[in-house]
Amino acid sequence: MIRRILHIDMDAFYASVEQRDNPALRGKPVAVGGDPDKRGVVAAASYEARTFGVRSAVSMAQAVRLCPALEIVHPNFTKYRDVSRQVFDIFRRVTPLVEPLSLDEAYLDVTENAWGEPLGTTVAKRIKEEIRAATGLTASAGVAPNKFLAKIASGWQKPDGLTVIPPERVEVFLQNLPVDALWGVGPVTARKLRARGIETLTDVRTASPELLRDTVGSLADWLQQLARGEDDRAVVSEHEPKSSGSENTFERDLEDLDEIRREITGMACDAAAWLVRTERYARTVTVKVRYHDFTTITRSHSDAPTREEGAIVARALALVDKTEAGRRPIRLLGVSVHNLCTEPDPPEPQPRLPFEITASRP
Amino acid sequence: MELVVRKTELLRELQLFQGIVERKNTIPILANVLIEAKGDEVRMLATDLEVALRSHCQAAVAKAGSLTLPAKKLYEIVKALPETDVRIEEDKNGVKVAADRFDSRMQTLPREDFPTLPDASGKARATLPRQALREMVAKTQFAITGEDTRYFLNGAKFVLTPNSLTLVATDGHRLALVEVQHNVGVTQDVGVILPKKTLLELGKLLAEGEGDVQFESGENHLFFDVGGRVLISRMIDGQFPAYERVIPKGNDKTIEFERERLTNAVKRVALLSNERSRAVKLEIGKGKVVVTSSSSEFGEAHEELAVEYAGSAMTISFNAQYVLDFLNVVETDSVQLSLKDEVSQAVMKPVGADGYDYTYVIMPMRI
Repeated sequence: MIRRILHIDMDAFYASVEQRDNPALRGKPVAVGGDPDKRGVVAAASYEARTFGVRSAVSMAQAVRLCPALEIVHPNFTKYRDVSRQVFDIFRRVTPLVEPLSLDEAYLDVTENAWGEPLGTTVAKRIKEEIRAATGLTASAGVAPNKFLAKIASGWQKPDGLTVIPPERVEVFLQNLPVDALWGVGPVTARKLRARGIETLTDVRTASPELLRDTVGSLADWLQQLARGEDDRAVVSEHEPKSSGSENTFERDLEDLDEIRREITGMACDAAAWLVRTERYARTVTVKVRYHDFTTITRSHSDAPTREEGAIVARALALVDKTEAGRRPIRLLGVSVHNLCTEPDPPEPQPRLPFEITASRP
Repeated sequence: MELVVRKTELLRELQLFQGIVERKNTIPILANVLIEAKGDEVRMLATDLEVALRSHCQAAVAKAGSLTLPAKKLYEIVKALPETDVRIEEDKNGVKVAADRFDSRMQTLPREDFPTLPDASGKARATLPRQALREMVAKTQFAITGEDTRYFLNGAKFVLTPNSLTLVATDGHRLALVEVQHNVGVTQDVGVILPKKTLLELGKLLAEGEGDVQFESGENHLFFDVGGRVLISRMIDGQFPAYERVIPKGNDKTIEFERERLTNAVKRVALLSNERSRAVKLEIGKGKVVVTSSSSEFGEAHEELAVEYAGSAMTISFNAQYVLDFLNVVETDSVQLSLKDEVSQAVMKPVGADGYDYTYVIMPMRI
């Protein structure tokens, strides 16, 4: 089935938010970032500033040299996060398949969408309108059958652009793109490819696999796929959690071992409950201890995956024994579970001798 | 430095260093043996920082001194030489190793780079009976895991009491324990964990010769003096599992086997066991035990052994390799298997073992 993937990128996001909120900055070259005399760098530059060559990641000192009239604004991330939330709320009303790349950029799979729109282009147009209505800001969108093409498309016309690569035009679109356009090709790889005369995607496609492998190693197959416009990576709405746990700073330092064990038991039970709730198992249990002097240590134990409360509590308590709990005052305790999986190991045909639970190397 | 040494004597010592130096070493000096000539002997030392060996042999020393040479290359050269005197000589151009009409010049590494190793203090010594220690090492070392995340299982627990010595190893699935009653001359209990490599090298040192072994436990190191050769070992930190608790006491079903017949039956039948699990099944009935196996890929096999058994019938499965590991190091004519049920730990013991008590615990497999 042909998918309809959108890549939406807010235009000069931080700078645009600042220009929106401060009319005095509108139409002027604006850079959001740190002070030029404190080794600050540009986090975002308005389109006016970009005409002077001011771009994100250049040093602010350099930016001021390029554009002496540059208006420097200190970043206000709380504000950007709020605006970002508004934008993502719009995305998520359209489809649950939203893959954030940063505060101002995301992939959306709108093959199925809440509006029942058959055309990706219409969805993109409507999202752009909603973003403008809700935030007063513009975004550029790319519409294509996959992530790779959608991302290239959104960068095609900026700001406030909308570029569509329908399946039948993929070929024409790709032919003359430079190798840098490929996902995974940075400046170094691009230089290597050019040194071998591989400059466009057409060159990548026609290059012999041996030559390509020789130049970029294991990336070769992937690049040829991309160069043919093929990319079957799914839009992943949420990243799988890698761990879960809790920690607690106590109002007064804990010295009593029984009390410490009670706290650990409580947190281990919470971790076990989370595993049951999210239908996961954990291989590793970690205990974190911060002593009164702020020295912090962690102790971990790995074994067969489990979600059983008793087992997780026992492992956590065994780990407490590997700390100086009870001998040194403790200000913070934490328990977490890692190395998550969704299925327990099949029963081992060779069971273990019934040793008491023992922990890993101290 | 300049010395002359008999080829056979030098070769005998150098051979013992081959297992000590690390092959894939990232620290070049650890591939070398330190050679020190003094008085009328040449002393040698090599280490991989976990285990070290100090040894010596007679030599005619023309000029005292010390240097280092690659242990493996030196061994190969000496081994290839005719039965004659070997001369090792350092001059300003390097190190010469020569014998008869053979002459060579070898690369050396600065003596100063060689790590300093602790010396035995001469205190806290125990005298271990050589023969018994050899048995203990041979009967336990195979049960140590190679690379276990549970760090302490990568070694064997060695316990000395005023009148006994015990060596225990386990990989978590089976456990081998040898206890010997002997007055070793300690006044209080000593318990340490020995790295796998230490046991391996100790086993080699014990293989030939006679005389008791002097043992000493230092702060972080252990010293085994085997007939003038001293094996120095790092101690493994950590808590060895409470092994006493997994040795079952109430196994009431006991079967005696002729060792050789059981060994052969298990070996043969195991050829058609599941490739991955290597499980063999013992179908125990009145007067007989049938060893069986089956593999979905290759077929099935069974062999019947006549035994004296009048208890209730039962079936229990083991990893064939675990059973064979035990049978291969036992020399008594008969062995005893005692069981409680199909799922609890089984115990194997040699029948009529002389001078030591050997207990081998195996966890049965799920059928």
